[in-house]
Amino acid sequence: MSEMVNIMVDGQKLKVPEGELLLPVLLKNGISVPHFCYHDALGPDGNCRMCMVEIEGQKRPQVSCDTFIKKDMVVNTKNENINDVKRKILELELLSHPVDCPICDQAGECSLQDYYMEFGLNEARRPKEEKKLKNKKLDIGRNIILDQERCVLCARCTRFTQEITHTNELAIIGRGNDARVSTMPGQQMHTPYAMNIIDLCPVGALTSKDFRFKQRVWFMHSSKSICHGCAKGCNIYLDHNQEKYKSDTIFRFRPRLNHQVNGHFICDEGRLTYNQENAERVNEFYHHNRIITEENALSYLLRWLNDLKPLLIVSPSLSLEELYVIQILAKRFELDINAYSEGYIDLDFEDDWLRSKDRSANLEGVKKLGIKMSKDELIASLKETTCIINFNHKSFIGADLDIQALLAHKQEAHFLSHLFENYKHKELILPISSYSEHEGSLINEEGILQRYEAGLHNDKKSLLELLHAAISTPDTASQVWEEGLSEVLGIEYEEIPPEGKQL
Amino acid sequence: MITKIVSKNFETENSHTLEVAKQNGAYRSIDEAFTKPSYLIETEISNSGLRGKGGGGAPAGAKWCLATRAREMDNITTSSYLVVNADESEPGTFKDRQILEFDPHLLLEGMILTCYAIGANEAYIYIRGEYKFFAERLNEAIAEAYADGILGNKVKGFDYRVDITVHRGAGAYICGEKSALLESLEGNRGHPRLKPHKPSPEYYFGKPTLVNNVETIATVPFIVNNGAAAYRAYGTEKSPGTLLFGMSGHINNPGIYEMAFGESMQDFIDKIGGGIKNGKKLKAVIPGGASTPVLSAQEVKEARLDYESMKATGSALGTGGMIIMDEDTCMVSALKNLLSFYHHESCGQCTPCREGTAWVDGIIANMLNQKAKKDDIDLLSDISKTMNGKTICVFAPAVAMVIDGFILRFRSEFEAYIEKSLGEAHV
Repeated sequence: MSEMVNIMVDGQKLKVPEGELLLPVLLKNGISVPHFCYHDALGPDGNCRMCMVEIEGQKRPQVSCDTFIKKDMVVNTKNENINDVKRKILELELLSHPVDCPICDQAGECSLQDYYMEFGLNEARRPKEEKKLKNKKLDIGRNIILDQERCVLCARCTRFTQEITHTNELAIIGRGNDARVSTMPGQQMHTPYAMNIIDLCPVGALTSKDFRFKQRVWFMHSSKSICHGCAKGCNIYLDHNQEKYKSDTIFRFRPRLNHQVNGHFICDEGRLTYNQENAERVNEFYHHNRIITEENALSYLLRWLNDLKPLLIVSPSLSLEELYVIQILAKRFELDINAYSEGYIDLDFEDDWLRSKDRSANLEGVKKLGIKMSKDELIASLKETTCIINFNHKSFIGADLDIQALLAHKQEAHFLSHLFENYKHKELILPISSYSEHEGSLINEEGILQRYEAGLHNDKKSLLELLHAAISTPDTASQVWEEGLSEVLGIEYEEIPPEGKQL
Repeated sequence: MITKIVSKNFETENSHTLEVAKQNGAYRSIDEAFTKPSYLIETEISNSGLRGKGGGGAPAGAKWCLATRAREMDNITTSSYLVVNADESEPGTFKDRQILEFDPHLLLEGMILTCYAIGANEAYIYIRGEYKFFAERLNEAIAEAYADGILGNKVKGFDYRVDITVHRGAGAYICGEKSALLESLEGNRGHPRLKPHKPSPEYYFGKPTLVNNVETIATVPFIVNNGAAAYRAYGTEKSPGTLLFGMSGHINNPGIYEMAFGESMQDFIDKIGGGIKNGKKLKAVIPGGASTPVLSAQEVKEARLDYESMKATGSALGTGGMIIMDEDTCMVSALKNLLSFYHHESCGQCTPCREGTAWVDGIIANMLNQKAKKDDIDLLSDISKTMNGKTICVFAPAVAMVIDGFILRFRSEFEAYIEKSLGEAHV
């Protein structure tokens, strides 16, 4: 651990670690320093020359991404001198930029825009006819569109493919102002983490084909959520917006920094699971394909619970709170629970970074709560009952003929967030909210307990609320924890830190 | 005025062959030097005051020290590297090619001595891609040296290995910058590296590396043979020794001439260069490769050819490759020629250089096409200010100094072009 020393920044005293790079420390202390090429995940490259600061005793302005902190250093980031330097360099960055913000998806979260508004505001000194034209709208594969004219050549994307994924699809070709980011001729991006370069790109040069032209970023709200694509539990921002006369809809997932779990990145497949989250929601209660009211549905449910001794089948992607409430239910009616989840295993998906073969989000949680999950136990329980209640498990039957045969003449009730094809015509279907709509907590495959926020505001009851209406179990996450989940896990709900807790 | 140290064999017939080179005394220095401790060579070089001849003029001894010290400090037990910079691409400079063409064995001898001095077993010659003929000649010389047991596992029978490899560049001016050169040699894009914060050698694949110019290394055998004092006998106190000065442009006898430092530039042009072509008057001289600020005829009269005096004159000695311009030269066109070169050669890594070189080139092009605007001179100065001192390497500052030099000394010619453009606009 390096020694803490005092430095002065813009007349303000800071206690900072000696020998560390100046730029990240300034940013961490809330001092805005413009930068393009520096990124926490990639380190400095020193090519953009935007992060200039004045250091007393130095003849010239220095780039703060290549300056190390020394004791009693006096740094100026905002005086007229240094602002002028930054303005001039920004002018150069914008020299051949097409300034097509009105049709650019990055607008609103673009560093170029922000810096121009902060200290640029200069008139163009070069006529626009002399701008260097480059290629626009290049499809470089994996949902990524490259616009070479908007690029500031900070090399974050090329460094990502070189230093992080080691796939080397991108390089800067050409010299001088002819330099541009490009793939090899005839080649495309192929890493399953490719879309991270869209987030890395500080400007509108790399945009997502999936998100393009769908939503202006300033209309969207971001909620802190967790990707349910696999057991890794990558932290994400869930960007959503409720347009007039439409339901609240997710437009994209973005990675959310968590050094303990996923760092700065997420995989493309996880990023695109928002499509599944938006699609094919169950909105009504059904009894034999007939729409019924909630009261009727719950009375059917209660009759089943009382008379038929159903087997409860739970999805390994349910939150800890939902699982715990189902356990309360099982205890009260003396029912069996099973979370057989072979159908969630996808060996092709696994890699040694952020993709896990277990495509459920909370299998560790299921284990922690002691819920049965073996096939033998499932078959034994099925033999003893004439009825099952499924809690959002999308594929417990799968191709398994044994289980299919056992299910042949059983009654089925399904609590579903999404309409899974094979459950469409079952006896009883009850819609519940999905993870994007209610808060909750999960344990990932490494045993890290994490919380996620409610994101979308759609008029849909959660499983907790439905069961509360039926059998008066606790109806909010914090109440579930008070009811006993805290005791099981040995931690209070409010105590779970933002970056999660290793259990 | 002519002093032949490096160029002593240039006029001998077949001087590039090992046979003739040996007759001229090549590789003789090794016999004695290799029996003594290696640090003696380094000491001798430091004492001689030899300065890097690639343009910067930094003391060679200090650089050698860094390379050897770094090995001790980093506790590196394996050998370091020697890289010879033969990427001679500075416009107006054509001295290294003379060594490569007429006396490649002198360079090889210098390299063997240097390798021994800094503890390197492997050396590379990074030669510019366009020097195909010279690369071939060098390879022939290396093959001869290997066949004769001069290079290889046992240098002239001594228990010391030196292997030399010639690597041809792919045609980028920036690869003459030492860190870009090493990046290129490592197989990467030739982008200069961020400068270290304290004195430190270069690193090639993580090992301390000495990068020196061809001429610098070719001077080493003379110093090892004759001692530091013999070298110091030439030149000035602070710029000892000689340099291969070159002359091109509007001059009667263009070519390469080896001279001690400190001679008068005017004498060099008149006596050795034979004066300006067609009896015209001198207008300007770019003293040491394109990247040094231009000098007016008046300044040339005062100028003396050593690092300190040239700096005092407001320019730099650079590589000593002078471009002579007569009274009919249009200085705006001359600047355009240079800026087109820089525009084409900027590596495009840092913003000020990537965009700045293109912009200034465009402004001068507009001027020549009579499309200049009223404030263009101020704009040029402003851009050059932004380009100066804000980039990773010294490419952009050099361009800025070139622009400033032209505007400072020949402002009226730029103003005339602007007036012409504005006049056209009024009609």
